[in-house]
Amino acid sequence: MSPVSKLDEQAALVMPDRGRAALNALVTGLACIAAALLVHFVVGSMVGPFVTRIMLDAGVMIILAVSLNIVNGFTGQFSIGHAGFMAVGAYVAAGITYYSSLALFGSYQAQTGLISVGSLIFAASALVGGLAAAGAGWVVGLPSLRLRGDYLAIVTLGFGEIVRVLLQQSNPQLFSWDETRAASLKELVPPPLGGAQGFQSIPTYTSLFWVALFVAITLVFCFRLKRSSEGRAMLSIREDEIAAQAMGVNITNLKVRAFMFASFFAGVGGALYAHQLGTALRPTDAGFARSFEILIAVVLGGLGSISGAALAAVLLTVASALMIELGPWRMVLYALALILIMIFRPGGLFGVKEAWEVFGGLWRRKAVAR
Amino acid sequence: MSRPILDIEKIAIAFGGLKAVQDFTLRLPTGGLYGLIGPNGAGKTTVFNLLTGVYTPQAGTIAVDGTRVEGTRPHEIAAQGLSRTFQNIRLFGLLSVVDNVMLGCHVRGRHGLAGTILHSPRHVAQERAMRRRAMELLSLFDLASAAGEQAKNLSYGDQRRVEICRALATEPKVLLLDEPAAGMNPQEKKELQALIRSLRDRFGVSILLIEHDMGVVMDICERITVLDYGETIAEGTPTEIQRNPKVIEAYLGTEAA
Repeated sequence: MSPVSKLDEQAALVMPDRGRAALNALVTGLACIAAALLVHFVVGSMVGPFVTRIMLDAGVMIILAVSLNIVNGFTGQFSIGHAGFMAVGAYVAAGITYYSSLALFGSYQAQTGLISVGSLIFAASALVGGLAAAGAGWVVGLPSLRLRGDYLAIVTLGFGEIVRVLLQQSNPQLFSWDETRAASLKELVPPPLGGAQGFQSIPTYTSLFWVALFVAITLVFCFRLKRSSEGRAMLSIREDEIAAQAMGVNITNLKVRAFMFASFFAGVGGALYAHQLGTALRPTDAGFARSFEILIAVVLGGLGSISGAALAAVLLTVASALMIELGPWRMVLYALALILIMIFRPGGLFGVKEAWEVFGGLWRRKAVAR
Repeated sequence: MSRPILDIEKIAIAFGGLKAVQDFTLRLPTGGLYGLIGPNGAGKTTVFNLLTGVYTPQAGTIAVDGTRVEGTRPHEIAAQGLSRTFQNIRLFGLLSVVDNVMLGCHVRGRHGLAGTILHSPRHVAQERAMRRRAMELLSLFDLASAAGEQAKNLSYGDQRRVEICRALATEPKVLLLDEPAAGMNPQEKKELQALIRSLRDRFGVSILLIEHDMGVVMDICERITVLDYGETIAEGTPTEIQRNPKVIEAYLGTEAA
């Protein structure tokens, strides 16, 4: 008889208590909310509008970069159409909050207060936007994830462009509920999302609380995914597809899943982006330039590293905000910085590891040297 | 005779005009330790690739423990209980050694998104069990101390053994070893032979191995199949194979040539 037991038998021996697991999940959820409240009320009260704005942008960028990392970092695919999924989420969520605000409150003005009917509609619309983006991810991913490398990149690039063009074809925005009710079918299909003029006057519900909350949820999701059996299977695809398959990993299924997870969070990030003060959504938001920004954050942080992607997202947002006065020179400096980083750290800041693994390793090595 | 654990019946594949493998038949009984040899380019690894679903056979049937698997996808074949190692080691280099072996457990686990993200009791238990099993396996191979190391940093011999660990973690019925002794020194080879024999006893796994080192093959295999240019030219016990004139010819060439 074999001395090594089967997985099932062994799992039965180490089953944790149900109540404890429930408590654990509850504590994690509350911790996310507490962190978001802390950021909103404590940090938010200490900083001015300029810094707040940077924090909001950075938060959205974290969500986008960390989610793209699931596809490009974990499974090793190469998607450059992330902004397309972000735009799907942004427009869907904005459409819901804008027109429901007109219908319910008679105005597109956001309701005040952290928790109001309007802000709950906003939170729900962000999830719906995420789901819509995930659906788009499924549609794009299923046929195209059999492709590899450059081919997949072209398909995802094409997807972003398709979204952009479709959004341009949407109907002009309607500015009151009466107008909306009186609208003919032709004005409602394709949906009145503003077309090339852009979609404006979106209720400004995005606050530090919601951004911090969704950042926390995204991070918990990604860390737990990476450290799970599913996550290891995704990383194994990136390392060696043939070996992964031979060990029983259903690579097509996992690639599509990774794509859907990434799209979902891109959609949520898009929703948060759309409801910021002064945002007018434009079809070009789905375009290549934005996708590229997100991609840079992931590569800079180190493909596969969640903390790397998050840190790079913050660095890039802050850097571009600080360099805003430099005008066009900003892009030159930006590109130069990237080139230097790719020369000196081609694997990104942290490679596939997390920040603490990198610094923990350094610390240990020094201790050994002593 | 009871049903063979691996029943290969006349499988064949051609790449364009090249008949890489023709009419390959082999019956591996439960608990068997068989060998597959042949000169370079004889089609040995192609046979493994056909068995594991990397290629789909153009003719013939393959059954693992009575279940037909030809034409199904590689991960489904792995789930049926066929696992392998690779000639040119294919570990997940950037992952830790223990993660590599835990990945082998993946196919036996059950995975749900909610459980994974919310850390359901079943998910937590499964992760713990995977880690334990992986460490058990690594300890058996004296690799426990390297568990946290990135797989690419291990020595060649150790990487080969990690690959065997990973394959065993899938709970296979049949284990295919593709040149396990390649690149090992005589001492390591000796240890490997003992190890391969012990696998069968400890894990109840049946083994088919490809090997170039005749010493190793002749010593541990009960029966040997010899391939040359995709065709089976001999089959028998090590002593029969050693005396077979066709085999000698394939390896050494005829005197006239």
